[in-house]
Amino acid sequence: MPDPISQIIQLVTSTYFLEIVVFPGLISIAILGAFFTWFERKLTARVQLRIGPLYSSPVGGILQGFADIIKLLFKELIIPEGADRFFFIMSPVTALIIGAALLGLIPFAPGVQIANVDVGLPAFLAILTLSPTLVLLAGWSANSKFPFIGGLRALFQQTAYEIPLWLSALGVVMITGTLNLTGIVQFQQNNGWLILPQALGALLFIVTSTAEMERLPFDLPEAESEIMMGWQAEYPGPLFMLVQGPAFIKLYAFAALFSTLYLGGYLGPAIIPPIVWFFLKTIVIIVAIMLFRSTFPRVRLDQLLRQGWTTLLTLSIVNIVIAYFIVVGVPAI
Amino acid sequence: MTDLTFLALATVTVASAILALEARDLVYGAAALGISFLGIAGLFFLLDASYTGVFQIAVYIGAVVVLILFTVMLVGPQLGEPPLELKRLSLLVALLISLLLGTAGSLTSAAAFRGPDNCSAGCDLIRLSTTLINQYGVPLEFLSLVLAAAVIGALTLAKADRKG
Repeated sequence: MPDPISQIIQLVTSTYFLEIVVFPGLISIAILGAFFTWFERKLTARVQLRIGPLYSSPVGGILQGFADIIKLLFKELIIPEGADRFFFIMSPVTALIIGAALLGLIPFAPGVQIANVDVGLPAFLAILTLSPTLVLLAGWSANSKFPFIGGLRALFQQTAYEIPLWLSALGVVMITGTLNLTGIVQFQQNNGWLILPQALGALLFIVTSTAEMERLPFDLPEAESEIMMGWQAEYPGPLFMLVQGPAFIKLYAFAALFSTLYLGGYLGPAIIPPIVWFFLKTIVIIVAIMLFRSTFPRVRLDQLLRQGWTTLLTLSIVNIVIAYFIVVGVPAI
Repeated sequence: MTDLTFLALATVTVASAILALEARDLVYGAAALGISFLGIAGLFFLLDASYTGVFQIAVYIGAVVVLILFTVMLVGPQLGEPPLELKRLSLLVALLISLLLGTAGSLTSAAAFRGPDNCSAGCDLIRLSTTLINQYGVPLEFLSLVLAAAVIGALTLAKADRKG
């Protein structure tokens, strides 16, 4: 029996441990999260003909995200009077865990995947359904008006986008015949990317996932110009960082899921390694979602609910019919 | 290892289920109910029924608990039901009912769920879905009434608020 120290060394140097802690796990998530905050601010600034972050490093303020983290960490931790301390602290922490769990399901390259689950796609979506609940609990626990309104808006919003989101992903499942994310990528290796046969599904997926991520034009629970950041309003510095973190992790995870489902994941000509292909596709999607923010105005809650239950739901059913005809029309599948 | 995981999950499930009933604050009760459902989902995963586990999370936490939380927050804790008296009696009744249900379940399950498709570990998901739709279509539809029940419950609570 080996001594405990060598056992620990064995564990730390094992692939599984490295995958969880370094890549695609926690450390890379943290670094990319900080990078995306800078990237979004810079991109939005460019669209609006501003300069954006500039001073935090020699090259275009690229370290702005890290500077923000350091600043937020050293702020005082103030819990509002009358707040429910347990939920107030636990909600952002749990949200961060959920975000990290989502990335564990994504196949980044052949063999680079923390958890290759049989039911990867519904697992991803099921884990996501927890996040509006946490937003509601966070908003309620702050014992303040705007956070509570934001929390309730998150729930209303969930009823609008949740069903079209699941249904739009269903088209992919019908065509590929598997719920396993690696299986979906392998199907596209033989049959081409699914963005062409599932163009409508992909469009629906990106719209509903933007609503899920609470990003403009669907950022009703935050809506800084209406309800002052909504459910995040009362969070003090260090906790605010924990609140903002999951937002960027979710953006990363959703873009990764989109490229897995519709853009062939890590597939691509062998000149570039698979993982680079994966990140190229993911970053394109992230840029697209960030550009929504600078392009579209915010919708109203009633508009979102009405469109969710009429247009989005109808279109997602149409998409299922399209998928049905693809499956039945091509017997080779 | 499996035994330990099972014990941990079972403890969490049962403890949070008790908390869900006994918590003074209804919001805590609802959150405890969510954790209890998570524990049940974990038990499903332990049984290699990951498909069922995933939908346990999606339907029960993503929809049912959310509806309950929603209503509880709209109604407010002061308008919720006062703590029930006769706790011992209700505990006894609960025990009796669960015993009865357990006995009935164990008696009928062999007859009710006998079928050619014995889904064990490594079971084909496609086969499972086909069986669910072809053989158990009607029970499946009845199970989906769970959501309707949750909506009706939420509406009842919200309506009681307006009267009071």
